[in-house]
Amino acid sequence: MSSRGGLGTRNWGLDSLRKLTIIWVVVFLGLSFVAQINYDAWRRYSPPKLIGVDYNIYIEPQPLSPPLAKAISFGSTEFLADYYWLTLIQYYGGGTPNGKYRKLAELFNVVTDLSPKFLQAYQTGLIILPGEGFPDQAIQLGEKGKQNLPDSWEMPYYTGLVYHIYKKDFVSAAKEFQIAATKKDAPPITQYFAGIYYKEADQRQLAYQIFKTVHDTTKDDFVRERSGKQLLHMEMIFFLEDAVDKYHQQFSRYPTSPLDLVTKGIIKELPTSPLGISFVIDPQSGQVKDSK
Amino acid sequence: MRPKVLWAITLNTFRETLRDKLLYSLVGFAVLVIAASLLAGSVSLGQDARVIQDFSLTAMLVFLLIITYFIGTQLVFKEVERKTIYLVLSKPVSRETFYLGKFLGLCLTILVAGLIMATMFVAVLAIKTHQVPVAAYFAVGAVILEAWLLTAVSLLFSSFTSPLSSAIYTFGVTLIGHGSATIWLLSQKASPVVRGILEGVYYVFPNLEKFNLRNDVVFNLAPDITQVVWILLYFVGYTAFLLILGMSAFRKDEF
Repeated sequence: MSSRGGLGTRNWGLDSLRKLTIIWVVVFLGLSFVAQINYDAWRRYSPPKLIGVDYNIYIEPQPLSPPLAKAISFGSTEFLADYYWLTLIQYYGGGTPNGKYRKLAELFNVVTDLSPKFLQAYQTGLIILPGEGFPDQAIQLGEKGKQNLPDSWEMPYYTGLVYHIYKKDFVSAAKEFQIAATKKDAPPITQYFAGIYYKEADQRQLAYQIFKTVHDTTKDDFVRERSGKQLLHMEMIFFLEDAVDKYHQQFSRYPTSPLDLVTKGIIKELPTSPLGISFVIDPQSGQVKDSK
Repeated sequence: MRPKVLWAITLNTFRETLRDKLLYSLVGFAVLVIAASLLAGSVSLGQDARVIQDFSLTAMLVFLLIITYFIGTQLVFKEVERKTIYLVLSKPVSRETFYLGKFLGLCLTILVAGLIMATMFVAVLAIKTHQVPVAAYFAVGAVILEAWLLTAVSLLFSSFTSPLSSAIYTFGVTLIGHGSATIWLLSQKASPVVRGILEGVYYVFPNLEKFNLRNDVVFNLAPDITQVVWILLYFVGYTAFLLILGMSAFRKDEF
């Protein structure tokens, strides 16, 4: 725009604008930067009432439904899965000022629907989701992982951990570990863990059988040693329960401690567990248990 | 059709596209995006290789298609607008040779642009992960084949419509071509009449998903020989169909 144009001789200050281009560029870039960081701060920290909705909606991702995401990817499903994967990492790493990561399970779902064989996504989901209050969604993710990655030992293994840690469902955990143990490359200790879970769930005969199989078949020295100790420990429990039955037949009541079995002459001495665990007896049921 | 004349038009078209600044900015931007995938990979929880491969291959496809849309649709139009086409056609050059030469010239441009992008992609991947899966080379080849096929589409449209319309139509064909799996699924659930229409769309429009080997690269699943042969046959068949259609439309054009 010329200073000698149809608008008279006034140059409207544009000459100085032209001469100080770099300064103006820096000024306006700075202005946009300040506006941007203030906007972000407002979006992140404004109380919900101010903007009328749950403000988390402004900072949490809004993933599309998996079928829609697949349709709009136009074949680039892995690319879109990566986009949501990076979004998920930023979302989780960025923290949530409003409590729960409400979109976390949804994001893992869309990522693994777009990329059904994305092992790392399943693994991360199975580790993160339960701790953030989504144990059921984590188990669903594990089930999907087992379907899509049938050769992976990680899927049932991690699902089993969710059952154990967050659901306290030892039988399901044990079943998952038994599945994991059948997979190629599964760590030798996997089946050992299945035995541990069955033991925790009071399914002792099953636990004993698993420990025996592990002991007889594993090539791992550590696992053989541990399963051998478990077998000995369980045999001691069975031995003590037999003694408790004899005690009950003689005295029509259950002993209050394993020492009663020695003092009443049912057994000569108390066995010492190779696991370093002492035994207790439930005086109501006569069941022999590990002391906690 | 004399091969010497065809080659001359091909080379001339290639040189002409090289003079287009848009080409350099697109190739430059694609190379930048591929390099930037290194950054995206660094925040991906150890999934660098995956992110670099997916981002780079998608960037390659997108930028090669933009070249097709914006340069391919201009080629014939510019000749007509500048009236240079009269100079060429007044010589013993058939319209078919001219049309085919334009197509091959742009294919050469796309090949060179694609190879520049692919070199960057392979370099970035090799630097970061020290290995380049074989599947990546197949995927790059398939991306270039797809861009060539769409060049034939854009040339066909540009033979009877304006560059802008041609670019829009070609973009539409791209979307339909990549939505072919969805179209097929929809057709299987539709009533017999709609099913017939959708299946017609599925077979008539180019099925660009056949060239989509990008999703297999992260799992290093290289296509087997049968798949490669079918992809090539499909490309040859469909491109020839488009070129013949385009040449016949171009033959009837009055400038």
